Amino acid sequence: MNIILALIPISLVLLGLGVWAFFWAVNHAQFDDLDTPSLMPLADDPAAPPSAAPPPPGE
Amino acid sequence: MSELCFHCNEPIAPGERLVAQVAGKPQPVCCIGCRAAAEWIEGLGLADYYRLRNEPAARAAPSSEEYAAWDRPALQKLYVRRSGGEGEVCVLVEGMRCAACSWLIERALGQNGSVHEVAVNPAARRLRLRWDTGRTKLSELLEAVSRLGYKPHPLDAGAIDSLAQREQRTALKRLVVAGLGSMQAMMYAVALYAGAFDGMDPLTRDFFRWLGFLVATPVVLYSAQPFFAGAWRDLRARRLGMDVPVGIAMALVYAASLFAAILGGGEVYFDSVSMFVFFLLAGRYVEMRARHKSADVVDALARLQPALAERVRVDGARETVGVHELEIGDTVLVADGATVPADGELLSPACSVDESMLTGESSARARRRGDTLLAGSVLSQGPVELRVARIGADTLLSSMLRLITRAAGERPRIARESERMVAGFVAGVLVLTLLTASAWLWANPSRAFGAALAVLVVSCPCAFALAVPAALTRALAVLARQGVLVVRADALETLTRATRVLFDKTGTLTENRMELESVEPSAGFTRARALAIAAALEAGSTHPLAVALRQAAADLPIPQASNLTHHVGNGVAGTVDGVAYRLGRIGFAVGSAVEDEGAVVLAGPEGVLARFALRERMRGDAAEACAQLRERGLGLEIVSGDAATRVGALAERLAIGEFHARMTPQDKLARLEALRARGEITAMVGDGVNDAPVLAGADVGITLAGASELSQAQADIVLSSGRIDGVVRARDIGLTMRRVMRQNLFWSMVYNLAVMPPAALGYVPPWLAAIGMSTSSLIVILNSLRIRPPAGEPPTAVTAVRPREAAA
Repeated sequence: MNIILALIPISLVLLGLGVWAFFWAVNHAQFDDLDTPSLMPLADDPAAPPSAAPPPPGE
Repeated sequence: MSELCFHCNEPIAPGERLVAQVAGKPQPVCCIGCRAAAEWIEGLGLADYYRLRNEPAARAAPSSEEYAAWDRPALQKLYVRRSGGEGEVCVLVEGMRCAACSWLIERALGQNGSVHEVAVNPAARRLRLRWDTGRTKLSELLEAVSRLGYKPHPLDAGAIDSLAQREQRTALKRLVVAGLGSMQAMMYAVALYAGAFDGMDPLTRDFFRWLGFLVATPVVLYSAQPFFAGAWRDLRARRLGMDVPVGIAMALVYAASLFAAILGGGEVYFDSVSMFVFFLLAGRYVEMRARHKSADVVDALARLQPALAERVRVDGARETVGVHELEIGDTVLVADGATVPADGELLSPACSVDESMLTGESSARARRRGDTLLAGSVLSQGPVELRVARIGADTLLSSMLRLITRAAGERPRIARESERMVAGFVAGVLVLTLLTASAWLWANPSRAFGAALAVLVVSCPCAFALAVPAALTRALAVLARQGVLVVRADALETLTRATRVLFDKTGTLTENRMELESVEPSAGFTRARALAIAAALEAGSTHPLAVALRQAAADLPIPQASNLTHHVGNGVAGTVDGVAYRLGRIGFAVGSAVEDEGAVVLAGPEGVLARFALRERMRGDAAEACAQLRERGLGLEIVSGDAATRVGALAERLAIGEFHARMTPQDKLARLEALRARGEITAMVGDGVNDAPVLAGADVGITLAGASELSQAQADIVLSSGRIDGVVRARDIGLTMRRVMRQNLFWSMVYNLAVMPPAALGYVPPWLAAIGMSTSSLIVILNSLRIRPPAGEPPTAVTAVRPREAAA
């Protein structure tokens, strides 16, 4: 039973880490838009625009 | 069946032959604006948008707006936040419908090298931009957005840290802390329950109790703050709301568990209290998301009042200035199709304005020199000059806003009734707890605290407090998937008891467009010839009648008209193939004194040639929705600001017996008052700004997604699918919800009444109290899950992506 004395604090530390990570994500706008990201994988990588498009801006 | 536009999905007028090249294939479009938008999207390599979106785009208006004025320093100071060479601006994007829109805007702007950050929030229809002010001007970015078919309205810099966003973030954090905390607390509680049966040495038991305390503390002190704040507000106002019992129960259960942990006796309820917080927070979170999805008043003002005006200086030169820079006495030039920036006196000879947003009058009104033009109305024939008479808070538009806030304050609060019930229950529980405590103090002081706590825990919180929110949360979620957003939660319950539904006409039952009903040519004249000449005379006009005539004549070869002269409010005169014609009101066309509402007449030199009967185009599902509402025993009624003939004709088509025409917002409010005096409960469906006070004053205010933002802000329910039959669905699901709520309340009452006496007498062992508490809550939650969409009906707003095979 003594193992719980080690495992439970570890679980609490992990819990704390999880909450901290979640707060960080919320504060960095990761949860502001829950609709768009679900579409991202379905979009193809942007192909080279046809000639009609303006040339890419020079860096 | 006509074809649908590839870009905006609106029907294409027969005969329209515009085609856009998308993905190498020709696709039909309805107008030049839509073609430009579709081809520009294709040109950027973003044609995936058409595959990803789940709602059609707004019809693209050929961009006539002048964005260059946004580069003026006076405006930039208000709207742009600067840091170094970087500017940050928050833009309300009109026409943003779904996630694919935000994807499109993000990609399109992201391709511009000087844009550092694009953040689009489709729910709030906000776009936040950070860009290099040295390389690109704000006007160029706004123009890029407008080229996609959207209308950008910059919001003032304060909107960047929007209140709604902060509220949402905090709520999400609280919810997750409560969820994680309650999961952990439950695990430790299971160990304690097992220990209660199989024996556990006190040291291990105390260890688990303190662990429970550790995880429940953030839940109670951080996540449950809104409940404590609400309870404190209620108590200070000397009311007993729902937050009071919830807050008291949470505080007492937590404190008692803490005492039990310190003293080593009694029982701890850390798991129950955190689970309780989590369930209640989840309900509030869902409610808040629905509320944010509908708009706020700031948006409304941004859209109605133009931010810019064209001022004519004393020397005759023109300059574009911000509306807030205008002063009384300034002369302002308003372009054709633009919104009037301030109330003022017309200086030009004549013009016609569309005041439908303000007054509900659907046809354009004629104004002559010296008449007053109202801020927020749209000029349908111009350009004109006007002298500013009232600005800012003095305009009619602003006074309408004040009317709304007052009407909202006078809203009959059915909610008070249920709050009284809760308050009575709370008072009862508190009294019973006190009685139990004092009785035990007299009989056996050592058991007083435990028994009093048992009464409080066993009776008050979980099942009873969850009975209503659980069913409500489920119903709101089901409805949201059906395209019905319930903004104020108690509206759904009120809707199920409504006895009468009032409809506004323009924009609600009808679309804001006219259609040709019939043509009656005179002897010796053909229908086709009459239409062709009428279309030739109306070429280039944006008046709704002209658009309807042109659409009807789209299949015909249109001759060229010359010498066109527009007579505001009357009609048009011109020459076609060498013959002079007049088209318009009968009084104008042939000088007859008899008025003929709802029709225009084409006349040649020898008299009347044809009569065109026009009517408003009805919304597709209006007839069906009205029939379904009547089937359910509701009284229907039209209240409109429009003329009696037009309202009557529509009422007849929809078989609605009662209608009232020429109603001002005050008249409509009075009508509601009269109905209420008769004991009727009213639901009002409307969309214009003129409806906003009425929506606020009705028992339930319902508006459509395309409605003015102002009325959306006042509505209790927003039909985001744009379909009127959403009212029927909301009512059906509301009825199911009421049944489930009653079952929930009945069950929790039975449970409470059954366990309270043994608890007061001290006969409820801790494990039984814990099991009873969890089971009763679980039953309430499972019962609420029985609220589902009606079988066989697919949800209208699809959350998943459905590739459009047919169109791709």
